[in-house]
Amino acid sequence: MSDRDTVLGAIRRGLGRGPLGSDARAALDRRQGATDSDPLLPGLPHGPLAQIFRAGLEKVAGTMSEIASLDAVPEAVAGYLAGHGVALEAAVAPSLGALDWSAAGISASIGSTRGDDLTGISLAWRGVAENGSLVLLSGPENPTSLNFLPDHHLVVLRSDDLVPYPEHVWSALRERGEKGWPRTVNVITGPSRTADIELTIQLGAHGPRSLHVLLVD
Amino acid sequence: MESLSHAFKERSVHALKDETLQVALHRAKDGFAVKRAKAVEGLPEFDALRDRAVAIKNHTLEHLDHYLERYADAVERSGGTVHWASSAEDARRIVVDICRAADAKMITKGKSMVGEEVGVNGALEEAGFEVVETDLGEYIIQLAHEPPSHIIVPAVHKTRGQIADLFHENHAKYGLTRKLSEVPEMVNEARQVLRSKYLAADVGITGANFLIAETGTSVIVTNEGNGDLTCSLPRVHIVTAGIEKVVPTAEDASTLLRLLARSATGQDMTTYTTFSTGPKREGDPDGPEEYHVVLIDNGRSTMLADQFREMLRCIRCGACMNHCPVYGAIGGHAYGWVYPGPMGSVLTPLSVGLKEAGNLPNACTLNGHCAEVCPVRIPLPDLLRTLRHREYQLKLGLKPLRWGLAAWVWFTAHPRIYRIGTRVQARMLALLAGRKGRFTRMPLAGGWFKGGRDLPAPQGETFMAVWKRRQKDSAR
Repeated sequence: MSDRDTVLGAIRRGLGRGPLGSDARAALDRRQGATDSDPLLPGLPHGPLAQIFRAGLEKVAGTMSEIASLDAVPEAVAGYLAGHGVALEAAVAPSLGALDWSAAGISASIGSTRGDDLTGISLAWRGVAENGSLVLLSGPENPTSLNFLPDHHLVVLRSDDLVPYPEHVWSALRERGEKGWPRTVNVITGPSRTADIELTIQLGAHGPRSLHVLLVD
Repeated sequence: MESLSHAFKERSVHALKDETLQVALHRAKDGFAVKRAKAVEGLPEFDALRDRAVAIKNHTLEHLDHYLERYADAVERSGGTVHWASSAEDARRIVVDICRAADAKMITKGKSMVGEEVGVNGALEEAGFEVVETDLGEYIIQLAHEPPSHIIVPAVHKTRGQIADLFHENHAKYGLTRKLSEVPEMVNEARQVLRSKYLAADVGITGANFLIAETGTSVIVTNEGNGDLTCSLPRVHIVTAGIEKVVPTAEDASTLLRLLARSATGQDMTTYTTFSTGPKREGDPDGPEEYHVVLIDNGRSTMLADQFREMLRCIRCGACMNHCPVYGAIGGHAYGWVYPGPMGSVLTPLSVGLKEAGNLPNACTLNGHCAEVCPVRIPLPDLLRTLRHREYQLKLGLKPLRWGLAAWVWFTAHPRIYRIGTRVQARMLALLAGRKGRFTRMPLAGGWFKGGRDLPAPQGETFMAVWKRRQKDSAR
């Protein structure tokens, strides 16, 4: 008997029944989760999604600036870095590689990082208003390492990609069909933090010390 | 992990006298309870969500075989490998074998309670691997060679001074010799040391807060980002997870996530919620080449058969221990095994046996606070009562206690004798206590009066007598 059969057999003994029939299993597979028939989602404050998103983000010590177009992103990044006294150098996700970084005076290395970049710049797939969370998908164009290794994480989010709840992200991932879920989906809510020493909150435990969102209209 | 639960009494007395520990516990207790209350207040749907969470968990457990099969098939489709472990020993062997096959030298770990339960670290170290815990709290207790004392903040029993000493002792080999005193500089130093470990590790091991059956995804929540670095930088990612962690869909996980952080730390949401599905895909610049999941039973399937199935709803938030007066007084180490507090007092006897851990269900005042705050409404006091009952039936408790209980049972079954007995007793005790009406000492009960506590004496009449008299008076 395989290890799988041994564990499943023990579970069925615990449940006091044999394996389920194929009809019963098919019915279970059609169930789409807690919220599909009778959604129970927390009420959101009134106002535009961008405003709710910003409130959530700022509650967890993230910051945000609103930008008119994608082309204006390098300029805004340069302003942010200069304002924080950080060198104008960054590891940039290939999805944003086509922007004119050098025109804004930023020396950009396109691709993933091994931890020697102070600043990382990524493109979010969705933003979730409920908690001010960013959703980033891994892929050739979006290295996961940029989300965790740099001290400063700057994330570009298109305002069209703002959704009210994470449930909207899951249904959008389902609609990707064959491609389905990428290796990593990072839901990021604020900069890294720890309270492991005397329950004192300290930002920048292992991941970024600051998180800044550039919301592009 | 080896159990020390048989020594619960000695260990709790020791804990009560440990002044450093008492300072740390006091800080934790108030901190957590207040933060949770605030977070719950901010979500009017909290109670309705708890009902949903209970329904999701019950539904999944009722069809656990189906959802695990669906999950395992989805993992394999995405290029990962699923391993099934019936026992702790199986789990240890599987993890060691994967690390050997990967020709690993250094292994980083994200916090995994089931990893602690089956003793993954010990097995890996015995096999010659260097194992580094990366959650700051776990890293601190690894340096101190101690087990966790809390499932969310494993080093909550340590003060800043103790941690500074540990770092001073252990970080000199990296050229970090300055003695630290402030929290930010300690966090920074740990960040610096652990950064080099992440980048050098061959294998990363994490736990899972949820497994999603539909997509074959494992989910971890962290605040530090340590688990996320652990699962994305090394060439091999191993997930250790109890079989009860599976949920049908990501929507179900979202419902539970709305409860988890609020119940645990009082956050609306933890900083990082990371969903891993299989190994890295073609063209991905980073991510592991191999993805393994070890599904661990270790006694859980047996719990499905009776009322302890309710315990399998547990999402390991720690709210029960944060609101428990016993945990608040003695901390986690006194319990002697991986899981402390109310949830641990249920799980430990089921795992290591009532003979070893029979004291734990008795170390409970049945005040019910744990059940009140439990996000998945586990009736912890009822489960503890059942364990007490089992212990009595197995004749495992202390003999004087069992004799006392047997005598009491006999008296209550003979009401007339019981009434005469209590009448005499109430009068005698009232006489003995004299005018003060309180006892300050009593033979065989020295423990009660320690630290200046007294005991009010009966006032000379039994409840039944008072009741009868009042009935008569009001009839007049």
